[in-house]
Amino acid sequence: MKFSYNWIQELVPSLKASPTDTMRQITLRTAEAEGLEPVGQHFGKVVSAKVVEVEPIEGSHNRKVVVKSAQYGTRTVVCGAPNVRVGMVAVYCPPGVEIEGKKLTKAVVSGVESDGMLASGKELGINRDHEGIVEVGGGIGCTPDFIIEIDNKSLTHRPDLWGHYGMAREVAAIYGLELKDPVKVRPFPEELACIDVAIKDFTLCPRYSALIFENVRVQPSPLWFQYRLESLGLNPINNIVDVTNYVMAELAQPMHAFDADKVQGGIRVRNAHESESIAALNGDAYQLDGSTLVITDDSGPIAIAGVIGGSETAIGPATTRILLESANFQAASVRRTSTRLKLRTDASMRFEKSQDPANTVRALARAAALLQQVCPGIRVKGGLTDVHTELRHPAPIVLPLDWLSRKLGNDITPAQATKILARLQFGVSELGENELEVRVPSWRATKDISGKEDLVEEIGRMIGYDNFTPVAPLVAAAPPPANPSRAFQHQLRTLCSQQGYTEVYNYSFVNAEQAARFGLSPESHVRVLNPIASDQGLLRRSLLPGIHRNLVENAKHSASFRLFEIGYEIHPVKGQPPLEIPQLVAAVYSRQDGEGNLNELKRLLACLNPALTIQPTQALDFEHPGRVAEVLLGQTSIGRLFELHPSLVKGRAAIVDLNLDLLKLEAKQYRPVRKFPSSDFDLSVVAGPRVLVASVAALLTDPLVERTEYLMLHPLGDGRNSISYRLTLAAPDHTLSAEEIAMARERIITRLREAGLELR
Amino acid sequence: MSLADLTQASLSRVASAATAEELEAIRVEVLGRKGTLANLSKDFGKLSPEERAAFGKDLNAAKQSLESAFDARKAGFDSAALTARLDAEWLDLTIPPAGQRPGSLHPLTQIQREIEQLFTSLGFAVLDGPEVESEYNNFDALNIPAEHPARDMQDTFWLDGGFCLRTHTSPVQVRGMKLLKPPFRMIAPGRVFRNEEVDASHEHTFYQLEGMMVDRNVSVANLIYFMKTLLSGIFGREVTVRLRPGYFPFVEPGFELDIQCLLCDGAGCPVCKQSGWVELLPCGLVHPNVLRLGGIDPEEWNGFAFGLGMTRLVMMRYGIEDIRQLQGGDLRFLKQF
Ligand SMILES: [Zn+2]
Repeated sequence: MKFSYNWIQELVPSLKASPTDTMRQITLRTAEAEGLEPVGQHFGKVVSAKVVEVEPIEGSHNRKVVVKSAQYGTRTVVCGAPNVRVGMVAVYCPPGVEIEGKKLTKAVVSGVESDGMLASGKELGINRDHEGIVEVGGGIGCTPDFIIEIDNKSLTHRPDLWGHYGMAREVAAIYGLELKDPVKVRPFPEELACIDVAIKDFTLCPRYSALIFENVRVQPSPLWFQYRLESLGLNPINNIVDVTNYVMAELAQPMHAFDADKVQGGIRVRNAHESESIAALNGDAYQLDGSTLVITDDSGPIAIAGVIGGSETAIGPATTRILLESANFQAASVRRTSTRLKLRTDASMRFEKSQDPANTVRALARAAALLQQVCPGIRVKGGLTDVHTELRHPAPIVLPLDWLSRKLGNDITPAQATKILARLQFGVSELGENELEVRVPSWRATKDISGKEDLVEEIGRMIGYDNFTPVAPLVAAAPPPANPSRAFQHQLRTLCSQQGYTEVYNYSFVNAEQAARFGLSPESHVRVLNPIASDQGLLRRSLLPGIHRNLVENAKHSASFRLFEIGYEIHPVKGQPPLEIPQLVAAVYSRQDGEGNLNELKRLLACLNPALTIQPTQALDFEHPGRVAEVLLGQTSIGRLFELHPSLVKGRAAIVDLNLDLLKLEAKQYRPVRKFPSSDFDLSVVAGPRVLVASVAALLTDPLVERTEYLMLHPLGDGRNSISYRLTLAAPDHTLSAEEIAMARERIITRLREAGLELR
Repeated sequence: MSLADLTQASLSRVASAATAEELEAIRVEVLGRKGTLANLSKDFGKLSPEERAAFGKDLNAAKQSLESAFDARKAGFDSAALTARLDAEWLDLTIPPAGQRPGSLHPLTQIQREIEQLFTSLGFAVLDGPEVESEYNNFDALNIPAEHPARDMQDTFWLDGGFCLRTHTSPVQVRGMKLLKPPFRMIAPGRVFRNEEVDASHEHTFYQLEGMMVDRNVSVANLIYFMKTLLSGIFGREVTVRLRPGYFPFVEPGFELDIQCLLCDGAGCPVCKQSGWVELLPCGLVHPNVLRLGGIDPEEWNGFAFGLGMTRLVMMRYGIEDIRQLQGGDLRFLKQF
């Protein structure tokens, strides 16, 4: 939202603070100012000048123009505007003046030296007209200004600050200055209203006020009027539309002007019928539905309430009578409609902040006064139409001052509180010794202020939080409750990074193609209804697509690397919130050494928990069919270890994907150190092809065997392998004798033979 | 050969022995059980008792002088050998070692942990909340009913079944109020989502840390004190903060907290857009409606809440110019942390 410093100063006439200081104070006490933009700085240097000579230049569409002004005398300029003519008063810009950010210099144009220029409305920042040069009636009437830009988000709760009068009220309160009300409410003619208005549902439209004007001449507004609107980004159109925008910019009350001769019969405010549509002022047609509140005449919808008018009843050059609407619409309804139609207008933006119903008649009075200025001869026809439900006055708020002081943490005197609230035009009276009764003004009562908490803010911000003494909170010393699963994840992260893995964070979004690559159908995912891009429409059900992308991208510039991610898989559950499962995925990449990659991951698993075991399993499509296993903790499968299928990556990548809800770190359990020495012996077992080292090891058990350690595998050349193990034998209560060891060895060999295995 | 001659000759042989082996051979020859010195004592029996005593004394003296000569010479060889070995064992210690270097933790993980530790030390519980939230927890329970224009402040990713990706960590306040009994202090770090176009300074996925303290008589002055203390802890130096009004439906009063620009100390620079201040976090006293919806009586309890932008903090700390790098997965970027 843009605010003109000059405009605020008109409403706070004794304001002496600079635009910069005003902006800073607004930021500290009211709403966030985002910047200060000087506009119209050339005014005062550019002057109105009479065109005394116009001569064609051969071979050019430009013409040589001589102008005369009191300030600069006679000057010759080159001008290409089609509307330049002898006798007109134009705006002359001398060299040295900055126009649209560029400094004018004397220059030779079409062979003629141009000593400055004649400017268009666009070049002067008065309007958007660049078809020809500006023609001036009397003086230019514009002065340099500063535009204070306020962040719209910080005005969400303040319907009153969507107009200059509201902001001026804040500025007046901040500096302790007097506020001038621009509205002179003179009674409207005590006559019968000329327009009949009916409201179907007062919740959706609490008030509809309107006036008819006649003897209208539609023409451009005076330059100063256009300039004021243009500086705020409101496009000047004609005197009638400009007045509605001006009042909106001043009082925050959106208005709409209909061509009264095109409105058939009376006005009816109702919900649209399903089959209705409307051609809107912006040139688009909108299909309406039962949730859309519309303004209708006998022919059907002529405006979408609070959003936009229709083109059928629009003001045009031929308009001679207007119907000026100043109404109040329910915020939620306007917001729903503008969201559904994807149409946000200056009006809808204001209405959805809950505008003040008390404002409609004030706005009509202000508009009537302005129309007298910009549309000479205009007359009100008949009396005011003002249909409304009973206007609510919220109950006064009781404000206990000791409670207020406690909330702010600094002592506030009754005088201080009263003064601040009164400056913001709250009604204040003392209830008891330490209690105020506060009446909320109508423009703050629609939504913004409803309880005493809201008054804490009013008083706090006006005192200025910089003026508060910070106070240490008095809280009990207590150790916080633990969060074991979070601590566990932190532990795993440390462990993985110590083992050489670099942590990555991937997005939670995947597309159908990525999911399909890892065997997941789009239906098995939670779907995003409004994705940023069509390829981010699913929530990840697996971390693998992200990790896959990391592998492919990093393989482009690195020959070997390791990475990991801890994140949540999101699984849909019918009728329930999705299930979020924490996963750890670690990956090792190298150009050639696939076996080495897998070994590294096995080492990582051993670091995570030595009790984890590996069990070969059937490969999925994205896994190397000969290099895949389940990772087990006890009997529970907690994830998979595999080499990525070579079709998915250049080079080789091994991946482990673990469910962290199932993974536990090794439980620490102390056993006394054995007192009697152990003995060990080695065994080499001859096994056929693809006999698992682990399944042979599983046979090497005996009550005396304390530990079995795999030593090596040696291919015998005939397809069979020799697998060597070291067995450590011990007893808790004595040193083993040679016979005991020999017998244990025999028992083990027998078991091997029974399994069809031989010693080497 | 007389004892004196033998001693003399042997001493000179010891002195001229070229190697430890040669020395050892000489020692065996002279001092061995069957060595020349032992041979001389064979004649011992033929001597008179007087002669015997004198000869015995000479023999001992000769033996001692020879032994110490051998020992000294041997020590010389040993130390030379050690020196030679040590010299031969010279290593180039500048050769980089083989083996895997440690990886690195994501910068967000690091800063998150740091801040979690800081809060834990202040008695705050660390809570988790899901990434997918109900519309109720993400909005309604935080005093943002449907059709409230504040919903525009947070462009939301909507999911099937009335769920959404949480747009802030604030819904964990709702969970915290149900989980913990007042008085309590909690933080909730986590991933949040906004449906926004992505560029160098905007992301649809980023990290926040929610904080909430509920107790009796928590005041604005307490909030200012706490924030100042906390931020000095986070930045490791004294920071100047300022509070100004900010609108968030779940707090009343609500604030935007700015810190004085750490780069220019408030003088004005491009980072703070010449204002001397950097907007850092929204905060405020918890709105009574939010407490009520969380099952806490706002007449008895109140509190403050705040939201820290972790992604912002990381970018500020390291001067990261493009937010997209944080989730880009490029190890050339990530390994620097
Ligand atoms: Zn700075």
